[in-house]
Amino acid sequence: MTARARLFTAVAVILYAGAFALSLTVRSAMPRGEEATDVGRIVSAKVDKTVAVRTTEDVAAAIREARREGRKVSVAGTRHSMGGQTFYEGAVVLDMRRYDDILDLDTAAKKITVQSGATWEKVQEVINPHHLSIRVMQSQNIFTVGGSLGTNIHGRDPSEGSLIETVDSFRLMTEEGKIMTASRSENADLFRAAIGGYGLLGVILDATLRLTDDVVYTQHTSLLDYKEFPDRLRASVESGSTGLVIARISTAPSGFLREMYMTEYMDSSIPLADADTRLNGERAVELTRFVYGLQRKYGWGKNMSWSLQERLFRSNEGKPITRNNAMRPESGFLEYRDAQKSDLLQEYFVPLDRYPEFVDGLRTLLREEPINLVNITVRYMPRSDESLLAYSRQDSAALVLLINEKRSPARLERLKGVTQKMIGLAEQAGGTYYLTYQPFASKEQFRAAYPAADGFKAAKLAYDKESLFMNEWYAEYLR
Amino acid sequence: MKAVAMRYVMLSQNVMTLGSGIVFPFYLISIKEIGGDFTQYGIAYGLFTICSAYLNGYFGRSSDRFGRKPFLLLGSWGMAALFLLFPLVTSIWQVYALQVAMGVFGAMQRTCEKALLADLTEEGRRGEQIGRYHMGLSLFSGLAVIAGGFLVDYFTLDLIFYFGSVLLFASGLVLMRVQEKSGRAGMET
Repeated sequence: MTARARLFTAVAVILYAGAFALSLTVRSAMPRGEEATDVGRIVSAKVDKTVAVRTTEDVAAAIREARREGRKVSVAGTRHSMGGQTFYEGAVVLDMRRYDDILDLDTAAKKITVQSGATWEKVQEVINPHHLSIRVMQSQNIFTVGGSLGTNIHGRDPSEGSLIETVDSFRLMTEEGKIMTASRSENADLFRAAIGGYGLLGVILDATLRLTDDVVYTQHTSLLDYKEFPDRLRASVESGSTGLVIARISTAPSGFLREMYMTEYMDSSIPLADADTRLNGERAVELTRFVYGLQRKYGWGKNMSWSLQERLFRSNEGKPITRNNAMRPESGFLEYRDAQKSDLLQEYFVPLDRYPEFVDGLRTLLREEPINLVNITVRYMPRSDESLLAYSRQDSAALVLLINEKRSPARLERLKGVTQKMIGLAEQAGGTYYLTYQPFASKEQFRAAYPAADGFKAAKLAYDKESLFMNEWYAEYLR
Repeated sequence: MKAVAMRYVMLSQNVMTLGSGIVFPFYLISIKEIGGDFTQYGIAYGLFTICSAYLNGYFGRSSDRFGRKPFLLLGSWGMAALFLLFPLVTSIWQVYALQVAMGVFGAMQRTCEKALLADLTEEGRRGEQIGRYHMGLSLFSGLAVIAGGFLVDYFTLDLIFYFGSVLLFASGLVLMRVQEKSGRAGMET
């Protein structure tokens, strides 16, 4: 290179370095902001930032910083709620997933204390060698304990209510950075409000959960008509030997909202020592995903999948399975990230005896206003009214609808209309809907289903005076 | 010597491909982040292409007169500078403006790169030489897309702009090694 070229290069490098530094300086002075959403991807907000929490001090520091900057705080686990419960416009989002240590396992008392970011999968891995099992969890094990507490989930064990009933105590960090313990005897109002309180009272740091014994079940599946379901389910529950129960009602054109499968996991006399207690991994995910894809897209796919399930159930008939393995079904095939569509969940709770009436209403409604209903699972949800925002204040059938819908404003507006009618059907039958999913209910419907809403708000404001903890769902319904 | 010049051009353009390749398939996500929809994606992409359309002819003619190197240099350094502006964007209009500017620098780069290839290859072996050149380029653009996806997933979108910008600037520095006889076409080192 000539001397001139060298000089030219040097000047260019200096100028570029200057421009680079300038860009970085300006960028760091700009307000931060990132798009936050959840698996439903129909509610989103521009949040200030997401803080990956690892220690209790991280939580305290994030709270201090948010208060200093006048920002709100939202708390997130795996973000499987679908109504904006894990974020808020301009807020600092605490991502709790790495705050996941197992703090204590007392095998004699059958209790475990875990940090809120731990997933059920992690808990299962720790307790399985000790022949212990979780009392209440969702059908998949990918969720965090904290997220499950915030939404007060329920499961498939008919002898258990919602998650709150298996909680001994938890510790929560308030807006002032103070750590409070809540149980049935200490700060009982906080206990009832924060479980099922969508992270609005503070950050749940850790919780002590009661466990049960891992046992060996045998699986039995029967095909039945929806009208027989309440009696059959009640008989199964009252037999006292049903460990887990889950049913499905057909969304296939052939038996639309009439045919049902009910799978019972029955107590067996097989000792745990004779059973395969190793935890299952995921198998044949791609094949299931493919069948699920067809089911999502086509009526014939739904018919095919319904009859394939029959074959699958028949092949599993009488097969022994440990409780821990029955509580970790495959979920990989459910992952779905379409550019335009979302898999949306909804859940309705109806008094068991009025289940046929609700299903009849649903069938009539969905024939007039069809939606792409991929599947419906039905669980038993005994009365569980400890949480302030309890959804099952009487023995109920819990119907979980999986709907595939395009995320266009027009389609979502239509789905909102249909959803309000479905909530109307549930409320007519004396039931409720689950708050964790899309914020489609009208405010009147919300008030009717959750008469303790004002009490919940009062409890929030008692513990969170400045309303530091905020999310889009609360802003929509309660602020 | 043409062969040596060709080697530097190849290296420079490979680095340039790496720099733009880690950004291009992903940068429109930034439109999404500032609240855009598919229509705005379309407009942004279209603006880039349309703006460069007419300029291709102009820059091609000018490079016949002034040499390819100044335009290639301006193309990569200009693009490097624009990448520094992307992290600062706050509205869709700024994205459109940047797209127009990128169209200008893109036109310089594309036309002059091809013209330079023609200058540096020999009749009779042109296919072989261009083939070799494109093999390198495709390899780097493949690597870039993979790296870009990784960076977006694990870091922020800002980071890929800064990273891409540094690479684009570096590709210009490599190009500085190429010496061009003034005026038409011939190149040496």
